[in-house]
Amino acid sequence: MIKITNLEKFYRTEEVETIALNKLSMHVDTGEFVAIMGPSGCGKSTLLNILGMLDDPDEGSYVFNDIEVAHFNERKRADLRKHNIGFVFQSFNLIDELTVFENVELPLIYTGVPTGERVKRVEEVLDKMQIMHRRNHYPQQLSGGQQQRVAIARAVVNKPKLILADEPTGNLDSSNGNDVMELLTDLNEQGTTIIMVTHSEHDARYSHRIIRLLDGQTVMENIMI
Amino acid sequence: MIKNYLKIAWRNLVKNKVHTFINVVGLSLGMAVVMLISLWIYDELSYDKYFPSYDHIVQVMQHQTINHNTITQVDIPIPLGAKLRQDYGQDFKYIVLSTYTDQHTISHEDKKLNHSGKFMQAQAPDLLTLKMIRGNRSGLSDPSSIMLSSSLAKAMFGNADPMNQLIKIDNTLNVKVTGVYEDMPQNTSFNDVAFIAPWDLFMTTFPYLKRAATQWGNNSWELFAQMNPGVDVNKVSADIKYAKLRSILAQGDKIGASFNPVLFLNPMSRWHLYSAYFNGVNIGGKIEFVWMFGVIGLFVLILACINFMNLSTARSEKRAKEVGVRKTLGSDRKQLIGQFYTESLLMSSLAFAISLILVQLALPWFNQVADKQLVILWDAPVFWIIAIICSLLTGIMAGSYPALYLSSFKPVKVLKGAFNAGPYAKLPRKVLVVLQFTVSITLIIGTVVIFRQVQFTKNRPVGYGREGLIQAQLRTDVIHKHFDAIKYDLLKSGAITNIAESNSPLTGVWQRESGLSWRNKPAGLQDDFGIIPVSFDFGKTVNWKVIDGRDFSKEFITDSSGIILNESAARFMNFSHPVGETVKKDGRNYKIIGVVKDLVMASPYERVTPTIFFIIDFPGNIVSIRINPNISTHDAIAKINAIFQQYDPDSPFDYQFTDSEYAKKFDDEERTGKLAGFFTILAIFISCLGLFGMASFMAEQRTKEIGIRKVLGASVFSLWQLMSQEFVVLVSISILIAIPTAYYFMHNWIRHYYYQAALSWWIFVITALGGLLITLVTVSYQGIKSALTNPVKSLRNE
Ligand SMILES: Nc1ncnc2c1ncn2[C@@H]1O[C@H](COP(=O)(O)OP(=O)(O)OP(=O)(O)O)[C@@H](O)[C@H]1O
Ligand SMILES: [Mg+2]
Repeated sequence: MIKITNLEKFYRTEEVETIALNKLSMHVDTGEFVAIMGPSGCGKSTLLNILGMLDDPDEGSYVFNDIEVAHFNERKRADLRKHNIGFVFQSFNLIDELTVFENVELPLIYTGVPTGERVKRVEEVLDKMQIMHRRNHYPQQLSGGQQQRVAIARAVVNKPKLILADEPTGNLDSSNGNDVMELLTDLNEQGTTIIMVTHSEHDARYSHRIIRLLDGQTVMENIMI
Repeated sequence: MIKNYLKIAWRNLVKNKVHTFINVVGLSLGMAVVMLISLWIYDELSYDKYFPSYDHIVQVMQHQTINHNTITQVDIPIPLGAKLRQDYGQDFKYIVLSTYTDQHTISHEDKKLNHSGKFMQAQAPDLLTLKMIRGNRSGLSDPSSIMLSSSLAKAMFGNADPMNQLIKIDNTLNVKVTGVYEDMPQNTSFNDVAFIAPWDLFMTTFPYLKRAATQWGNNSWELFAQMNPGVDVNKVSADIKYAKLRSILAQGDKIGASFNPVLFLNPMSRWHLYSAYFNGVNIGGKIEFVWMFGVIGLFVLILACINFMNLSTARSEKRAKEVGVRKTLGSDRKQLIGQFYTESLLMSSLAFAISLILVQLALPWFNQVADKQLVILWDAPVFWIIAIICSLLTGIMAGSYPALYLSSFKPVKVLKGAFNAGPYAKLPRKVLVVLQFTVSITLIIGTVVIFRQVQFTKNRPVGYGREGLIQAQLRTDVIHKHFDAIKYDLLKSGAITNIAESNSPLTGVWQRESGLSWRNKPAGLQDDFGIIPVSFDFGKTVNWKVIDGRDFSKEFITDSSGIILNESAARFMNFSHPVGETVKKDGRNYKIIGVVKDLVMASPYERVTPTIFFIIDFPGNIVSIRINPNISTHDAIAKINAIFQQYDPDSPFDYQFTDSEYAKKFDDEERTGKLAGFFTILAIFISCLGLFGMASFMAEQRTKEIGIRKVLGASVFSLWQLMSQEFVVLVSISILIAIPTAYYFMHNWIRHYYYQAALSWWIFVITALGGLLITLVTVSYQGIKSALTNPVKSLRNE
C-alpha cells in the first residue's frame, strides 16, 4: 500500500537547517498494523504528516496505492487524503464549537455524502465507539478517553483504507488507553491499515511490526508475533 | 499603581499593532467627525448671536391665504411701520423699515464697485448695535449719508480716511460717508450687508415709491424691531395679529382683505434655523440639518466605539487565560477593571490627539463644502474642557464593556480547559456589528437618494435654452433709453445673436399679482400669477417653446397689449383654446396671443408658477443676452462689456451666466449631499475597519479549527465560505433593517419636493449588493489567508 524510498525533509529557519527525515525508506502492506517509535524529535510526526499527505517531502519518492504522490499538488493530495486516510491525534483536535455528532459528521460533508446517509453512518460509528449517548455534547463536556473515542469515530466514519495515529494514547490514562488500542485493533482486524506513532512499548505490542527511528532514519524493524 | 497600569497598557498597545491601529484610527476618525460636526452645529446655533440685542430683536412677518393655501412671508407693506409705531409704540424700543438686501453700484471718483446693502431707517445701527470703527451709530440721521462695512471702506478707499468722502449710489444718489462699522460675521443674517443708507433718501428719490408708502397691498419691504426690555414677544405678537387686516378693511380694500393677512413677530433666534413654513405653520427649517448631522456625528462616534468594544471583547477570549492567572495570583476585580480602563483611556487620548490633526487638515475642505468659516477654537478653554470630557467619556464608554466583561471571568472555569464563552457571549458583539452596518447602509441609501433627487431635478426640462445665455442687472435706465442702438451695435460686433429686456431674470419671478379676471373665471377663485414684462425679442433670446398661437412680434402693432401665458397659467385659467381670449388686469384688457411651455424660473423643485408675459413699457431691470455660438465666450463678453461701458460708463457691466445662476438653486441640496456622502464614507470605512479587525481576530482564533477541517478534507472555498458567512449573515440582517428605515426617512424627506425622483427599488437592491460586496472584500482577505495556511503548522501550535 505504501512504499517510500530515500525520503528527505528539511526544516529551514533563519540560521539552522534541521534534517527531520534523512533518506528514509520503508513500506507498509495493506492490512498491516505498524507502530513507529523513537526518541522525541526524531521525525515521527514529520513522517506521519507526509504519509498523510498533509505535508510534502523535499526529496525521495512516496508511492501510495501504486501512485507516485510525492509531487502531487495540494488539491490532488487533499482529494486523495479525504477519501483514503483518517487521522487520530494525541490532543484529539476536536472542534470545540461543534457537538460530538457534528464533529464526526464533518469528513462525510467534505466528501459529499448525502444527509440521510450521513446520519446513518455517524450513528453507526458512534454506536460502535459507545458514545452514542453523548452525541449532543460538546467536546469540553467529555473526558479525555471519550474525546479520543470521538476522534477515532471521526477518523473511521469515512471508512478509510489507512488510519494514521500520532500518539493516540498520549493524553490518556492506561485504562482509557487500552480501550483505544482495542478499538484500533478491531478496526485493523476488519481490514484497515494502521500506522501509529507511540512512545509506549505496551501500546506497540498491539501492532504487527515496530519501526524504530533515530535522527530521521530507520534503525531497526521488529516483527511482532 | 497608575504608572504600572500605564506601563502594561502601553506594552499591550504596542504588542497588538493591528488591533491598536484599527482602534486608534477608527476612534480618531470618529472623534474628528464629531468635532467637525460640533463646530458646525455650534456655528449654526450661534447664528446671529453676534448682535447684543439678540434676545429682543424681531422681524415682523405675515401669513396670507390664497385659495386655502397659506403662505408665510417676511415681506410687508410700508404703512405698517408707522402703524405699529403709533398703536404699539410702547412695546418697541426701535422699529426699522428696510429694503431687501440688494446689489447696488457704489462709486467714488473712478472707482465703481457692486456691493449688496440695505436702505434702512435711522435707528438700524442702534437696533443691530453695530460696532463702529469710525463715526457713531447716529450716522444715518443725515438723509444723504451712507455707512460702510470696514471691508467695503477698505476696498473703496484703501488706507485713506473714508469719513465724509462722497459716494454715488447707482449713479443717482449722492451721499457722504458718516460711519464705518465692523463687518457683520458670516454667521449672521446681515453678513452680506456691506453698506447701509438712509431709508428716507431712497423713498424720496424714486417717484413710484411715494405711492408705495401708502399702499397696504404692496408687500415688498422688510420690518425689523427691537422689543422694550421686559416686554413679552408672544403677547405683542398676538396683539398686532390683525393690525394690517383692520387697516385694509378701513380702506375698503376687499381683495386685499380676502388674503386674510395675519401678522406676527418672529424672534431673531428663529430666523436662521426655523425659517420653513407649510400652510402657515412653522415646520422647522435648517434646524433639521442640525439634528440630522448631530445624529450622524453621534452615530459615527458610536460606530468607532463599537469597533473598540468588539475588538476588545473578541480579544478577551485570548486574554482570558491572563485574567485567570492574574486572578489566581490575587489580583482583584477592581485592579483588572483599572487595567482595562487605563488601556482604553490611553487609546482614546491618542485618538483625540490624532483627531485634532485630522480636523485641522480637513477644515479648509469642510468649510468650502459647508460654506462656513469654522476654525478650531484653540484658545477657548470651553472647547478644551468639552473636548477632553468627551474623549474621556469615549474612552470610558468604549472601555467599559471589555473591562466589566473580562474582569468577571471565573478563574477556575478559565484555567480548567479551553475557555469557551458559549454561544451567547458572542451575541452582543453580533448585535453591535448589525447596528454598525444598519447605520452605514441607511446612510448609503440616504446619500444615494439625495444625489439622485438633485440629479433628477437638474435634468428637469427648463423650457428655455440656458447654455450660452448671460444675464445682467440694470441699475439705471440708461440702457433702456438706448436699447435699440445698443442692440444694433452688439449684433454688428458679432458678439451676440439676440438681446432682450425683462423685469425678472430667467432664474426668478420677481413680480406676482392677483385680482386678474377672464371669461368664466369661477367666483371666489383666488389667483396669483407671476407677472413678467419682457421686450419683443425675449422669447427668441431665451429660446422658449411656443406650443400654441405665436410669439410676440413687432409686426403686430396690437402686440403691445398682447400677452403670452405659460402652460400652467393656461391650465389655471381653464380655457380649451386660450389663444384669442382676453385677460383683464388693472382695468386694462390684454389679448392672449400664445402659450409657451413652462419655464422653470423659480425653484426647480416646485411646481411652475402660472405666469403671464407682457410687453415691457418701462425700464426693465434685467437684460438677457444670447452669445453668438461662433465666437468664444471670452471675446464675446469683452465686446459686450465695451459696448455697455460706451453707453453707460458709470455702471460696471455686471453679468452672470444663466446656467450657473440656475445651478445655484441646487447649492443647498448639493451641500447636504456632499456632507452626507462624506460622513457615509467615513461611517463605512470605520465599520469595515471593525469588520476587518473582527475577521482577523476570528481567523487567529479559529486557526486550529481550520487546520482540523483541512485535515478532514475541507476545500479552500468551503473554508472561505465558513469564515465569511457569519459576517455575510450579520450584514444581511443589517440590510433588512436598514432598507425600511432608510425608506421611511427618505420618503419623508423627498415628500417636501413637488418634483421628485422616485424611490426606485433598485437603489435598495444595489446598496444591499454593494454592502455585501464590501463585506466580502473586507473579510475575504483573512478568510482566504487562513484557508491557505498549511494545517500542519496550525496544529503544531496546539
Ligand atoms: N515546522 C518546523 N520548523 C522547524 N523545525 C521543525 C518543524 N517541525 C519539526 N521540526 C523539527 O524536525 C524534527 C522532527 O520533528 P517531529 O515533530 O517530527 O518529531 P517527533 O519525532 O514527532 O517528536 P515527538 O516525539 O516529540 O513528537 C525536530 O527536530 C523538530 O524540531
Ligand atoms: Mg510528534
